Amino acid sequence: MAQQEMSEEQIKELQEKIKNMSPEELREFQKKQCIFCQIISGKVQSKKIYEDDKSIAILDINPANPGHVLLLPKEHYAIMPQLSEEEIAHIFMVAKTISNACLRALKASGTNILVQNGVAAGQRAQHFMVHIIPRMDKDGVEFRLPQKEVAEDALENIRMKLEEYVGSGKKILQKKQAPAIAQILQKKAEGAGEKQVKDKGLDSQSTLHEPQGAVLQGGSGLSKIHVGASQNPKEPEAEVDSSQPGIKGEKIRQSRSGKKKQPGKKARAAKGGDKGQEETAPNLDDIARLLGG
Amino acid sequence: MEPPKCIICDIIANTIPSKKFFEDDDTIAILDFNGANPGHAFIIPKQHIPIFEQVPNFLVGKLFNIANKVSSAIFDVLKVHGTNIFVSNGVSAGQKVAHVIVQVIPRLENDGVQLSWQPRQMTEEEVSTVELKLKDEIGRIGFGKDSQSKQAVPMKKDAIALEEPEGEENYLVRQMERIP
Repeated sequence: MAQQEMSEEQIKELQEKIKNMSPEELREFQKKQCIFCQIISGKVQSKKIYEDDKSIAILDINPANPGHVLLLPKEHYAIMPQLSEEEIAHIFMVAKTISNACLRALKASGTNILVQNGVAAGQRAQHFMVHIIPRMDKDGVEFRLPQKEVAEDALENIRMKLEEYVGSGKKILQKKQAPAIAQILQKKAEGAGEKQVKDKGLDSQSTLHEPQGAVLQGGSGLSKIHVGASQNPKEPEAEVDSSQPGIKGEKIRQSRSGKKKQPGKKARAAKGGDKGQEETAPNLDDIARLLGG
Repeated sequence: MEPPKCIICDIIANTIPSKKFFEDDDTIAILDFNGANPGHAFIIPKQHIPIFEQVPNFLVGKLFNIANKVSSAIFDVLKVHGTNIFVSNGVSAGQKVAHVIVQVIPRLENDGVQLSWQPRQMTEEEVSTVELKLKDEIGRIGFGKDSQSKQAVPMKKDAIALEEPEGEENYLVRQMERIP
């Protein structure tokens, strides 16, 4: 692919170009680079089994089992924390319906629902998605969660930190904690950006969906999952993808915070009757706003 | 009707000790004592609900929004490289107790957790059959209707009934029997 020929200067040039983009331009640019955005816009063919105004569900090209579904928000989000509460609620309600359909239509005896946040967790695409995997007895899919011993005091330490962070009672996230998340996300995004650019320089095998292909752990099967979807010939621009995350994390949220404020408020006002929801609703919008300002 | 004895319900009732770090009216979040990695968390509905399809919509939204926040918290507090949000639904999917659990699993490179798979080869025909079956079934279940999807996501408890199709209970009861 073309990106193999990219020189240091070209990469720098590209980074410069991306840096100077407005959030809107950047967004368009990212969408063009994202195979799943092309599937959503219909430019790349897929086996679509469900669609509404916010989400779309397609069959995975490299399924763990027949009926393995990828459920995606139509908006381009790289990571789950970028989605609003409403969007998360919507996506997983759709996931429930699809899981139900897998049980009924495919006579599956179970389903796994899986989200991969980060490369270490198996995330290969720069577009947030939910996997719904129909399961049968002895179907050959082996998910292993080892049981590890954790010392009591270490566990208690984690518990206290999480409690403080997530907060007990109704307020899930305190405002004062939002900047911390923002920082992490930004750091993470920047880190990913740098790392990937480096990878591109050194590792010519990197593709759109394996941004850090060199460091995948045991990802024999996984590393190929989404690559199948990119069999389309329009890949030469893929190299550009490398510098996205660093900027994306910040600017997407900027543009979102501007756009999404209104619906967010409305939605919250609308469900004012439900106290549980009312009190847990604002956090992500607040985070977005803080990031924007 | 008295629900069958459930270890998760005992944890919720505090008759079994746990490492609880979050609780509200509908959910609790606890740490696994023998997690796949330190910080392995369970987000659990308080109501005894054996399988995921039975969870009412407002609660699905809530569980996964909490899972998302716990995931962010884990990133921040434990400095991990990733998280998985994982639901095992049914024995064949690895479900161990008859109570819905959303797992949030902290991830590091080479941590011994395997949530990957070998891609399965399918013929074009097999794929098309699956596609049609799923499309049909989703249409039947009804969530795919525009009228619903264009509305704001129903968050109130009374909106639950919207999409529980006829015969749902029987079907789910049959599924439940598969759970130990």
